[in-house]
Amino acid sequence: MKRICICLRNIILTAMFVSLASCAGGGGTDKFRDSNMDFGSIQNVAVLPFVNLSRDQQAGDRVRDVFVTALLATGGIYVIPTGEVSRGIGLAGMANAGAPSTAEIKKLAPLVKADAIISGVVREYGEVRAGSSVANVISVSLQMAEVQSGRVVWSATSTKGGIGLKDRLLGGGGEPLNKITEEAIRDLINQLYE
Amino acid sequence: MTLSINSMSRSFAFVFVLGFFLLSLSSQTFAAAVSLENSRPRVAVYIPQNLSGRPVPLRELREALSTSIASSGIPVLDEASLNRFMARHRIRYSGGIDRESASFLKNEEKIDAVLLTTIELYDENYPPKIGILSRLVSTAEGMEILWMESVALAGDDSPGILGLGLISDPAALRKKAVQSLVDSLKLHLSGEKAETKPVNRRYAPRYFYRADGFPGDRKYTVGVVPFLNASDRKYAGEIIVLHFLTELARDGRFTVIEPGVARQQLLNMRIIMAEGMTLLDADHITLSLGADLVFSGNVLVYEDFSGPEGAPKIDFSVVAIERMTKKMVLSSKSYNRGDDGVFFFDRGKVNTAGRLASFMVRSLVGEVAQAGKEREGFSELPYSPGPAK
Repeated sequence: MKRICICLRNIILTAMFVSLASCAGGGGTDKFRDSNMDFGSIQNVAVLPFVNLSRDQQAGDRVRDVFVTALLATGGIYVIPTGEVSRGIGLAGMANAGAPSTAEIKKLAPLVKADAIISGVVREYGEVRAGSSVANVISVSLQMAEVQSGRVVWSATSTKGGIGLKDRLLGGGGEPLNKITEEAIRDLINQLYE
Repeated sequence: MTLSINSMSRSFAFVFVLGFFLLSLSSQTFAAAVSLENSRPRVAVYIPQNLSGRPVPLRELREALSTSIASSGIPVLDEASLNRFMARHRIRYSGGIDRESASFLKNEEKIDAVLLTTIELYDENYPPKIGILSRLVSTAEGMEILWMESVALAGDDSPGILGLGLISDPAALRKKAVQSLVDSLKLHLSGEKAETKPVNRRYAPRYFYRADGFPGDRKYTVGVVPFLNASDRKYAGEIIVLHFLTELARDGRFTVIEPGVARQQLLNMRIIMAEGMTLLDADHITLSLGADLVFSGNVLVYEDFSGPEGAPKIDFSVVAIERMTKKMVLSSKSYNRGDDGVFFFDRGKVNTAGRLASFMVRSLVGEVAQAGKEREGFSELPYSPGPAK
């Protein structure tokens, strides 16, 4: 009987822990890194316009703007100016610049003199609601394609913000969007540099 | 006889010394007069350009500027003559001046400098708000920007005890703004350097990249082209350019090209930068302007607010491309709100986007000038294959 009680207590505690953890907002990360790729050989990178799946029409441009400057600020990689990338996209005749095919990557790279092409998707950007709680959330996925073969050599995802336990209990609206964007981009760049 | 010769020679010597003294005195007076003349150029005051997106009493503002400048002893071209000149040469754009117009002004009206003014904000609702950017451009060959200043005021900037410092009359605020600009101009023309207050660290760029060796000891000639405006505010791209010019000109380490000249070149070359500056654009612009460096960027948010509650917001990024290397030597991302770092009783709050932009850009230009200073960043890119994960 005593063992059953202990077992029941453990199950209840575990269930409580799992439910609390699921309530908590914050980040999740997934990544892929090609073990055969020498990332040190990448000097120049072109960042394509990000696909925007959020409700904010400018989310793709906003996140790309932060990412490009943050990547340059690392000092390890030179990022081709976005205007030059747009010119390259036009010259390469890319119909969907957010999701380039292997052939398009191979065509674009020499036009902009890039060693790698980064494309991305903004999946969430803005407010998220759950009951009376509101908070900002951002979710971004990036992938880097090597230009010789056009294959993806690195891919990562970062999600920041969301409704946490504190927001549920105390309210407050969560972190500002700029701050969580900064966190997500920093997280993605850390994953690239790991 | 000997005595009379001695006395004559003494008199002659005295007259000679006196003459020499008077001559040197008069030449000094003449030199001082020339210097004064040079420091007080003959000025034409263009009608202000309205980028506020609202009706602005432009004639009153021009009149106030002209009167204040003239009262401080600087000769100003009268309005009728200026209007005749502008009609004769079909000049409609008052936000800048191109080389041709400057040359006409110099030769036909004997004008040494043009005062160009832009109104970026004008709101008569309580508390009134005003934002003015003004610059003095030489009509000489180089068309140097001699002085540039911005002022952005709100009626509730300094409420003081029991609200005694509140300004509710838009005309009073206008007068205060104009006086502030004219005082700064007078100070500059007198040869004194205005004291620039250091900017709080909270206005520093969030991300900042500067190429190795930039800017070094070299004095760059800089052109700034209009930023892409992705914000809801009309003319935000042009306004932020003027703030950049103000801070670059104030810094003194850059020779800034008059934006009217840059505008004319962009029109002549039919350059439209719909999605940012390409390297080809940068090449054309720098070569035609004779610039070493061209700044461009993107304004995502530029928001003012009306009424007493709220805070301005600005979000912009900037890149600079160098002519020689054809590479980005500077990239920066900044965003701030007027109430950043404000916790108690709105102390330290910035009430106008113009003032906020001025702080943010000054901080950015300060970062550019601090050569050799390393910012906290990320580790180096791995130079060996990483493990599969």
